Order: sequence, then structure tokens, then C-alpha cells
Amino acid sequence: MSTSPRILPKGVAEADFDTALARFRDILGADSVLTESDQLAPYTKIMMAGDDQDYIPSAALLPTTTEQVQEIVRTCNQYKIPIWTISTGKNLGYGSAAPGETGQVMLDMHRMNRILDVDPDVCTALLEPGVTYQQLHDYIKENDLKLWLDPPAPSAIAGPVGNTLDRGVGYTPYGEHFMFQCGMEVVLANGEVVRTGMGGIENSSSWQVFKWGYGPYIDGLFTQSNYGIVTKMGLWLMPEPPAYRPFLIQYQDPEDIEEIVDVLRPLRIAQIIPNAVVIVHTLWDAGTHVTRKEYYDGNDSIPREAIDRIKADQGIGEWNVYAALYGTPEQIDVNWKIIEQAFGASGKARLMYGEEAEKRGGGFSYRSALMKGDMNLQEFGLYNWRGGGGSMWFAPVSQAKGSETRDQTELAQQILGKYGFDYVAEYIVGWRDMHHVIDLLYNRQDPEETQRAHACFSELIDEFAKRGYGIYRTNTEFMEKAAGTFGEPLREVHRTLKRALDPNGILSPGKSGIRL
Amino acid sequence: MKSRTMFPQCRHGSVAAALTIALAGASLPVFGDSSKETVREPAEIYRQVCSHCHAPQYGVGPEITIAFPEAAWEARGNYIRMTVRNGRAAMPAFREAKISDSELNGLIRALVSGELDDAPIVKE
Repeated sequence: MSTSPRILPKGVAEADFDTALARFRDILGADSVLTESDQLAPYTKIMMAGDDQDYIPSAALLPTTTEQVQEIVRTCNQYKIPIWTISTGKNLGYGSAAPGETGQVMLDMHRMNRILDVDPDVCTALLEPGVTYQQLHDYIKENDLKLWLDPPAPSAIAGPVGNTLDRGVGYTPYGEHFMFQCGMEVVLANGEVVRTGMGGIENSSSWQVFKWGYGPYIDGLFTQSNYGIVTKMGLWLMPEPPAYRPFLIQYQDPEDIEEIVDVLRPLRIAQIIPNAVVIVHTLWDAGTHVTRKEYYDGNDSIPREAIDRIKADQGIGEWNVYAALYGTPEQIDVNWKIIEQAFGASGKARLMYGEEAEKRGGGFSYRSALMKGDMNLQEFGLYNWRGGGGSMWFAPVSQAKGSETRDQTELAQQILGKYGFDYVAEYIVGWRDMHHVIDLLYNRQDPEETQRAHACFSELIDEFAKRGYGIYRTNTEFMEKAAGTFGEPLREVHRTLKRALDPNGILSPGKSGIRL
Repeated sequence: MKSRTMFPQCRHGSVAAALTIALAGASLPVFGDSSKETVREPAEIYRQVCSHCHAPQYGVGPEITIAFPEAAWEARGNYIRMTVRNGRAAMPAFREAKISDSELNGLIRALVSGELDDAPIVKE
């Protein structure tokens, strides 16, 4: 018999918790209520620089229907049980499948995994939260549908609903996921079900095609939030184009980032290049398939000399632009000429596609897969760069302007260097914005290094905010701090909504820094 | 064999429409697990989940399909189970909701015995 103290939800008496667990077993069946430590172990694995003791759940619930979710939240209200909702739980480096704080009950939606509808005419899907990209990809292939997905880097093991609700991004023209979401079914904290957009109309056939419905548009309230539990979500799928040309543009000097962004911006806004382009730094491009120790053994930030050796050995640029063209062969030829002209003007860029690009080092093969919506996890070779299983994504947003990009790059390199970490980064280019994504890789087996990573991440948030740069998403360890950078008036609105929609504060307390 | 349970594919939101009717009012509780869990074959789990990192052409994680001597099956199996459920360094943990206990048992047997040594390489 275990002698360690039992973990309980914060503020909940043991007897009440036992009564609630009994009720959960009535609702779900005993096998779908997990309380044993070996069953809960997978819900404790984190990669961020937090204390393991802060992220241990008291139980996990595995519903399979919306009605079960309704009954769960009613029970939680009765006994004031806080639940933390996950879908596929593969938000690696952002909190994975662990709770927001110790004692919360996991609401694990992975078994709600039905593909409810895929319409090949209007190119839409209606999914439950446990559906993975791999599952939907298989379904599309098995049914010979000419549709493409837009997975983020964890592709196969992650899912469209969770990624969209966290406002994740992918790499095709449908890269900004929330933009291509259409209609939700949400269980509110009081147990009622609401359907957004056109979903409130009985027999509506336009739930997945018309986003706005009537009256205030509320779908955004259920992203990066804790105002409800999404049990169904519609999304738009990209029709498979007749032709596809992924390409690579390499630049060799650190300061070239400014030119790249300024040349790219008008091409993105005019949709000459339609996809979510990435501008990848050397260490990210190399880090997916080589390890740091092959080039440098020190504990400080990898020096310029080693970066130059990597570039030479691996055939990688300082900046590596991965983008693609989609359409008919004729359209692609026309757009390629425009791109060649634009990037060729300064004489610094090297443009390539096909065999020439494949022969270069770096990530052309896996980038080509992701830019056409295929499943590929090669990017997670990054976790071997430094080793030790520590990863936190620092992701500030900027305008798509070269001056800002250069400013952000220099600031990030300076702060990471101060703490002895490497600048492993890429920019994901939206229509007018850039997500600057930096993987703060560290050895989580080393307590001193973990503490250093924590301090580094904290300083990154502070210093970027001082210059006007906010982050678009963060891990559970830093949600409170990140929310603080967006100002008290916005936080008060978030709290007001929370009080109105979830007066007992049972849904994912602390998500995005939002509590009662 | 696939794990998912699906409505038959339908067009123009007819399943959605049916659900709208079923959930109008939306307060009738339905207790118990309404889905019948299907158990995936080890090769299918390997293809869907493991291969994306562990297949030799990716090299993100170590190769895991190489057969072990029968005397080491139990120890190796325990190691795999521990790694899958707890994660290890960069490898994420996989929950029962993702790979059920019975699926994991089958996967372990197939991995240690080398049954998946010639598992098809993932090609899109």
C-alpha cells in the first residue's frame, strides 16, 4: 500500500472527491476513470522547465460522448472539482498531457475520436476532439478523396481540434488554423450544449461553411481559453491542387533576414506565395538531423565558428526559406518567374527546387511533406540536438518587416547567449505577421540547466514585451506571466467572462492565465 | 484494423443534422461508454504512431523493431512498457486513451519478437 499522501483537487475534501469519483464511474464506467499512479503517469510528463511536483493530476476521465461530458461538468460543479481538458495531449513543449496544476482532474477527450463528416464537395470536415491528423489522413486516403490536411509539426500524433483551439499553425496555404475553423459544439460549465455559427439552426446544412452565423461571433472565446469544452469542430480542407512545387531559397549572411522578409512580404500578401512560409535558421535546419556534440561540446551558446562549419558541412544556409507553389503547372510557372525576379534582384539568394533542393542539406524532404499536408515528425529530431528532453517554444509575433525581424533575432540571440543556450529558431510567415518560433532546448535531467532555462524563458518574455513584442502561445508554466504582458484591462475582461460562464471556476483554471 | 469509430461518411452535413436533432435540448444524459473499443493490430499502431520517429529513415528515435533473444523478452517488454507510459527524455508518454493496455501488450510482443522488423516503411 502506498504511503505517499493522496493528491486531491485544490480545496476539495477527500470524502467529496470520493463521492465525485463514484459519480464519474456511474457516468463513464469504472474503466474510464483512472486514479492509480501507473495509469496517471502518462499525464505527468512535461518538457518545460517547471517542477514535476506542480503537474500531477488527481484522476483522469475518458469520456466518449458529449452527453457524458455534460454529466461530468454537472458533477464537477456540485463538488467544485477543477478539470483540465486535453484532446490528443501532444502539445509537446507547451504542456503536453499534464494538468495546469497539481490536483486537477484530467478530462481526456482522446476517445471521442469520430470523424463525423467529410464533405468532398465543399471540402469540409466535422470532427471530435480525439481525432488525430493521422486518422483523418488515413480516412481521406482510404476514401480516395482529393483533399489535403494542414498538420503542425507533430502531425500524425496530434489532432486538428486541439491544435486549432490552441491557435496552432501549419505550413500549407491553410496554415493559420483558426482561420479555417468553421462551427463548434461546446459543452458549457453549466452542462448545457451550444453550437456556434449556423449550428444553432435545426437541420442547418451550412454549419461547416458559414463561420459567422447571426449576432456576435463567439468561436474565438473557446480558443486558448477555459470557457467551455469543445466536443465537435468543423474545419475547411484544402482541395488537392493539380500541381505542387516546393522550393528552397538559401541566404548565407545573418543580416540577410532583413532582405528575405522585405522581399517575401508583398509576395505573401498578394498570394503569389500562398502557404505559411518558414524562414529557418541554420541550427534548426541542421538540428532536425545532426546533434550539437558533433560540432561543439561546450555548455555555453554554440559559437559562430561552429555554426559556419555546420553550414559548410551540411550545405545549409544561415537562413533557409521553405515555401511552395500550388495550382496548375502554368500558374506555377508564372508565379515562379515572379519569385525568381524578386529574390534574384540582390544576387544574394540561391533559389532551387526539385533534385537540386533535395541534394542540399537541411530539411527539404520533410518540409516538402509538411507543406502538402503529409504526416511527418522529422522536426522532432530537434530534441536530439542538445538531448535531455527539455523544450519550451518561445513564440513572439512581429510584423512581416525586415527591421523587426532583425531586431527580434538579435534580441533573442543576446538573451539565449547570456544563459548559454542556442538560437534554434524559425519564422513562420503569415499574410502580414510572423511567428518567431524559438525552441529553447535544454537538458531537463540537469536541475541547474533546467533552472537556467526557466530564468532565460522568463527574461525572454519580459524583454520582448518591453519592445512591444507579445507571444502568441505559451506553455502552462508561463501562462500567467504571458497574460500579464497583455495588460490589466484585457485580463479583467477575461475574468468577467470567466465569472459569467463558469462561476465555480471548474474548467481548466489557469489556462492562458484566466481564473475567477 | 483501425481504432476509430465513425459514422458512415455522409454528404452535406446529414450526420450533423441528425446530431442536431438528437441533441436539441441537449440535456438527456446517456450513461456508460457508447463506443465499442476496437483493438488495433501491432503493425497498425507502429505505422500510425511509432514509425514517424523510430523508422530508420527518420532517426528521430532509436530503432525499436529489432528482435531480442527470447530470454530477454520480459525485461525488454517491461522497458518498452515503462517508456511508452512514462516517456523518456524527449519521447512523449502515451496514455491508455491513445494506446490501450491490450494494444500495448500486443505491440510489445510484436516488437520484442522481431515481428515488425520488416514493417512497411511509411511513405506518403
